[in-house]
Amino acid sequence: MKTYDVIVIGAGNGGLAAAATCAKAGLSTLLLERHNLPGGSASSFVRGRFEFEPSLHELAGVEMVGQQFDNLDAKVDWLTHASTFRLIVPAKEGDKDAFVNENGVRVTVDARMPVGFENFSRKLDELVPGSYESAMKAFELSENMFKAFDALGDGENYAGLPKALPYMPDVMRMTSHTLNEALNALGMPKKAQDIFSTYWCYMGVPGSRFDFLYYMAMQSGYIKNGTGVPRLRSHEMSLAIDKSIRDHGGEIWYNSEVTKVLMRDGKPAGVVVNGSKEVYAKRFICNASPNFVWTDLFEEADVPEKQKRMINARKTAVALTTVYLGMNKTKEELGITDYSVFIAPDSDSDKQFEACQNFFSGYCIINCLNEIIPDCTPKGTSQLFLTTMTSGDVMKGVKPEDYKKFKTKVARDMIETCEKALNISIIPYIEEIEIALPPTFSRYLNTPQGTPYGYMLDKWDSMLPRTIQFMQDQPFDNFLFCGASQERGDGYPSAYYTGEKAARLTIKAIKEGK
Amino acid sequence: MASSIKSLKAKKFLPMLGDRRARLKAGENRMPDGTDAARAIALALHPKRQYLKVAQVITRSADCKSYVLVPDLGRGTEKLAYFGAGKYLSVFETIGGSPVNRAYSISSSPKKALEGTYELTVRKVEGGFMSRYIHEHWDVGTLVEVSAPAGNFEYQPLRDAPHVIALAGGSGITPFLSMAQAIADGDEDFTLTLLYGSRDAENILFRDELDIIAQKTDKVRVVHVLSDASPDSLPEGMRQGFLTADLIREFAPANEPYSVFLCGSQQMYAFVDKEIAKLGLEKKYIRHELFGEFHNPASLDDYPENVPETVQITVTVQDETKTVTGSSTDSVMQILEKNGIAVPARCRSGECGFCHSHLLSGEVYVPKHMEFRRLADYPFSCIHPCCSFPLTDLVINVPSAER
Repeated sequence: MKTYDVIVIGAGNGGLAAAATCAKAGLSTLLLERHNLPGGSASSFVRGRFEFEPSLHELAGVEMVGQQFDNLDAKVDWLTHASTFRLIVPAKEGDKDAFVNENGVRVTVDARMPVGFENFSRKLDELVPGSYESAMKAFELSENMFKAFDALGDGENYAGLPKALPYMPDVMRMTSHTLNEALNALGMPKKAQDIFSTYWCYMGVPGSRFDFLYYMAMQSGYIKNGTGVPRLRSHEMSLAIDKSIRDHGGEIWYNSEVTKVLMRDGKPAGVVVNGSKEVYAKRFICNASPNFVWTDLFEEADVPEKQKRMINARKTAVALTTVYLGMNKTKEELGITDYSVFIAPDSDSDKQFEACQNFFSGYCIINCLNEIIPDCTPKGTSQLFLTTMTSGDVMKGVKPEDYKKFKTKVARDMIETCEKALNISIIPYIEEIEIALPPTFSRYLNTPQGTPYGYMLDKWDSMLPRTIQFMQDQPFDNFLFCGASQERGDGYPSAYYTGEKAARLTIKAIKEGK
Repeated sequence: MASSIKSLKAKKFLPMLGDRRARLKAGENRMPDGTDAARAIALALHPKRQYLKVAQVITRSADCKSYVLVPDLGRGTEKLAYFGAGKYLSVFETIGGSPVNRAYSISSSPKKALEGTYELTVRKVEGGFMSRYIHEHWDVGTLVEVSAPAGNFEYQPLRDAPHVIALAGGSGITPFLSMAQAIADGDEDFTLTLLYGSRDAENILFRDELDIIAQKTDKVRVVHVLSDASPDSLPEGMRQGFLTADLIREFAPANEPYSVFLCGSQQMYAFVDKEIAKLGLEKKYIRHELFGEFHNPASLDDYPENVPETVQITVTVQDETKTVTGSSTDSVMQILEKNGIAVPARCRSGECGFCHSHLLSGEVYVPKHMEFRRLADYPFSCIHPCCSFPLTDLVINVPSAER
């Protein structure tokens, strides 16, 4: 019986990066995936003459992800676009600060924000006078934080520490305070804070709970670099890593679900694939959601108590609902002028988060990929991608036989919200439509409530403490988790990072004969 | 004091680490919930397999039978997955050592699934591998294995017009029967005019059932169109001829958009597609059910010359590699199946992508009308074996068929 150096469970972004890193280092690597395609969320699907991007809104430029792909010897045709976001808050009756925007819609906020710290801060100041300095300070803090982290990662044995030290007090301030607390301390006016916090939804944590450090780490990348996407949908990214794994001698088995983990001497020694085939390895990297790993793959007696307690202590992150539209009109004909528009019932991120506990909240992001890739659909057509956040609990009480109607109702509400907020017409021009609710994500990602985001990056369970305590969070010394459930939460580069990191630790252990 | 981050305490950080550990440790010491509301719906609608048995066989015509299927609790299927009218089931069989599957539209209503039955209606096709097998072997009590309901041939109110003109040929009536029944049951809400082409009155399937539905609801209207009937002996209300553009125009609503749905044989599509083209409809208003398995690629204009008659395919599934020989007139999937190698398959029409595989070397021909690959599949050399025809010897990597 062949024993692999490492078995990677799940070919989501984390698992792909883990397997590619291990294979490239010469480890005998087996990547097992329950679906017929790599990538998990990073995929695509075809309906009629349209190929849809299922999950990626934007990469923060392509420099960082490009470096990750270069490290994995994976080639992707990247595209960039000098845009960030447009936030629209439609006015409610009686709103005193309402005005009519360029679309002819009564709004209280319409912020189309440019790329670059300076441009962004100036625009913010234009919209909310007196916010320039605080915005620039926030960006400076994030730049210093990156300098500190770069220095900490420099050389062996903390050789870079002296260079990092001057920045560390601010880093500690940033990570131990929320986005709202920090922006208040910086003296940013409330309305400017709301605009500044627009990207909270990319991690699903509102301003009163999102730590300032991680928010800035994410947001400043988007503001600094603009938008990046692969030319051929995320499927291109996943196939590029798939190729790298195979080119380096790794094996990938698709439609091969791990149905059980086999234990020997109190730790994992192998797995059962599709209920029948046993394969063994020295070490394991697991991209599957911890919740279902413990309930589905392990005997209860083998589940470490610490892991049970951890899962019950943590909060599942938000779930998503997405609508994919193949349109038989161009974006110009439809009247779409932006790649990414955030439509919110209220400008405050906590109120947005609260609203998102229900269906449907009025919160909707609308993306038009043709804005970046004009020929991503046939001539005369375009594709739209609508996203809203929800609590997975919204599915309680929905019976399977009512699900189809429920889906259509949610989609209609989302589309009509976009139609009203942009003063455009969408429904008459829909040629193809797919609707993904939490059960759809559950089916493809196999995560609790279908969340693509892992556990909520709440202020007590935030990125830096997770990172520092990474090894303490792992269940066995030869079994490491990667993916959105880990320290950096969701996002493609975050998942790739966790996979690469788990792989580096695995490679080191194998080389040390462990 | 000027606004500054310095007003926040840096020392708050260290206690956070202890706080996090304490909070994680304070979680309950019990197994996490193995499910939740989203997962429950996903599993109910998309079981990996459904284990069923034949409860009843109904002869519909000389060459057509319906099979009423019920859950087989003994093999673990408690309940049938609910479905939207128009979906199909993939039926899995092993025939003469070849693992094969075929997609059959569910001809019964969604409501019937809640009551515990699906009905599949199978016409015995000349040279049809699976249909002949089913007709010869399925009887009351036969154990059957099928997929979850699948496919995209459904009514979608945000996309389709409120009025659908359905064009059915022969056993292509099955998804429309389910839709018509769903309308009568109140589970779907659209107007359905069914132009149903049959050879003659004897070959009309579900004639009584359709009549009953049409009497129950004014949203469903059925017009029988007989190709081989003589005008003198035409039953009342029926038409003689084919499913033409003129006929569609006659029944289409005036001055409002309508959708056209098609289900039938490949020959029917070839004819009716030309007729529909005359109507100048927007693409969004034309929807086809699966094209079905394709044979004889050499009949197509762009098929290359000098293709060898037989080819070798070296195929790896998980850790097993085999080399097999087959005819270049068969799809990669057919060649593998004929050699006893199971391939993951659902639609067998190029569309669903379930058989997505890696072509490591060699060349294949894909008929244009079956080309539904993803854009990145081209640079990374991925194929759908169900609609890929070998032009040379091939080396391929195919996912496991066990799910």
